[in-house]
Amino acid sequence: MSLPRYAGHRLLLGLAQVVGVATVVFVLTEALPGDAAVVIAGDQPDPDRIAAIRSRLELDRPVGDRYLDWVADLLRGDLGVSLVSGRPVADVVVGNAGPTVLLAGATLLLLVPLALGVGMLAARREGGRLDRGLSAVVVGLYAVPEFALAILLVALFGAHLGWFPPTAVGTGGNLLAQPAVLVLPLVVLLARPVCSLSRLIRAGLIEAAGSAYVAHARRLGLPGPRLWLGHALPNALAPVVQQLARTTDWLLGGVIVVEAVFVVPGLGTALVDAVTARDVPTIQGLCVLIAVVTVVVNLAADLVAFRLAPRTQVAR
Amino acid sequence: MSAADGAGGRGARRSRSRAVAATALLAVPLLVALAGPMLAGEPAGRGRPFTVDGPLGTDFVGRDVLGQVLLGGRSVVGVAVAATALAYLVGVPVGLWAATTRRRWLDELLMRPLDLLLAVPALLLLILLSATAPRGPVTLVAIVALIGLPEVARISRAAALPLAHGPAMEAMRLYRESWWHRAVNHVGRGVRRVLLADAGVRFIGALYLVATASFLGIGVAPDAADWAVMVDRNRSGLALQPWAVVAPAALVVALAVGVNLVADRLLAGTADTETADTGAADTGAADTGAKVFGAHGEEGR
Repeated sequence: MSLPRYAGHRLLLGLAQVVGVATVVFVLTEALPGDAAVVIAGDQPDPDRIAAIRSRLELDRPVGDRYLDWVADLLRGDLGVSLVSGRPVADVVVGNAGPTVLLAGATLLLLVPLALGVGMLAARREGGRLDRGLSAVVVGLYAVPEFALAILLVALFGAHLGWFPPTAVGTGGNLLAQPAVLVLPLVVLLARPVCSLSRLIRAGLIEAAGSAYVAHARRLGLPGPRLWLGHALPNALAPVVQQLARTTDWLLGGVIVVEAVFVVPGLGTALVDAVTARDVPTIQGLCVLIAVVTVVVNLAADLVAFRLAPRTQVAR
Repeated sequence: MSAADGAGGRGARRSRSRAVAATALLAVPLLVALAGPMLAGEPAGRGRPFTVDGPLGTDFVGRDVLGQVLLGGRSVVGVAVAATALAYLVGVPVGLWAATTRRRWLDELLMRPLDLLLAVPALLLLILLSATAPRGPVTLVAIVALIGLPEVARISRAAALPLAHGPAMEAMRLYRESWWHRAVNHVGRGVRRVLLADAGVRFIGALYLVATASFLGIGVAPDAADWAVMVDRNRSGLALQPWAVVAPAALVVALAVGVNLVADRLLAGTADTETADTGAADTGAADTGAKVFGAHGEEGR
């Protein structure tokens, strides 16, 4: 399959995913049994209040009409208005995006060289002491919940030793003003993705090192670094690019948790606050935004991976 | 086993000591979680918050931290186990049905909607669902099971596909074997190993989601005796009384690392035994298993 043809297929799949996810978000938040107005009224199920909320949400109109209106608004970039603050959801997104983008971007920037380094170290010494030690750590840390790891690091390095600030309180959302604040959150965010990526890189390199073309290159007398970096590594990279995209899923969960632990005023905090306050339009807007980002990142990664290794099929 | 023997006594001893370490890491939190509620005894009265009375001090409302730690593992482990079991109960029949059916549209109808669920980040789906559903452990079980469902269905379908359309199946059709014998005895037994080994991975995912959700205050009462909730609630007293946070957090980490290491050993073990069986059919099954796990590893959940 040629690249344009593959891109076309993949783009259609991505579009279908976006539409599907938006529908799922709408159905889950709006059309659940049990009126959203009753849920929002919460502890004070006062009939007047429920009626007021219902008319404000236009819940008395048929579901289909509301869905079409909602989608039309989304297409125009209108994410709705927060029930709690009365501000447009788009403003909430813009106001909170800074710290989240910084955390996610810095993590991705550090993730690739770190994972490559760990993976290559382990692969070069396959079966050796270093490889076994790294593998044990990598397997162990693979699924440790971020919050537990974060709180242990805070207790040790923040409260006990006092090396790094335990929270980002006092930076007012401008994390770069105090770079020491970033150290612990980045360590926590990096822990899981580095493990999964370096494992893939190690496996890919070991497989490539045993292949016929690397053996041939070795017989031709290519020096070690060129053999590893120029021949073995590129072939190990295609699955890594795809996994890198899949880690956006993790990174997203991680960012939400890390923002909660370190009290960072980002999108994750906004989402958790919206859930606590049952602020349906804000939840919907943030979820659609995050889902679209996930789909787009995966799409880009699949295209890059296809370019690297054209045998790959459409990822489903 | 043969590989360990061949590598000599030192390798076997090292691998055994690692197995012991992994089991201990897993056993301590599991024991606390399961036997803790029996040892905790009657809840004592509430004292002053964040004091150092008792072995682990008091928590944010002045309860004894040791008692809370003993009580707090049950919900984390229980919800994760129940959610994994529920995901298998629904996901395996769906996956097997999609694999064994000869109607392509039915296969698509069963699997496509699940692919859609896979496109939504897991924690996001959890937050979204629990924002509207009533709070409580049953809801949490249902949501975490729903999140695990697509992967379980995909893996059981992938494992069953070569069995359901292989020459053995054709022969059984020609012999007019019953549907029960073909689908349950032949395919069901063939995928058993792959699914058992995969259950550990699924449990890790469920554990991660349950603990993280509880930490974020999703689906649990704000003063619940739960390790993740304890970590969240006692954070404000970290400088005064770190044990109220460190003890439950350390137990969660030990549980996650322990399950990981043990599941990893089990996975490696099944791969070994399957390749050791030299029957032609079994080699095929092992191959499928390896492929399924490879695909799953790239899936990265």
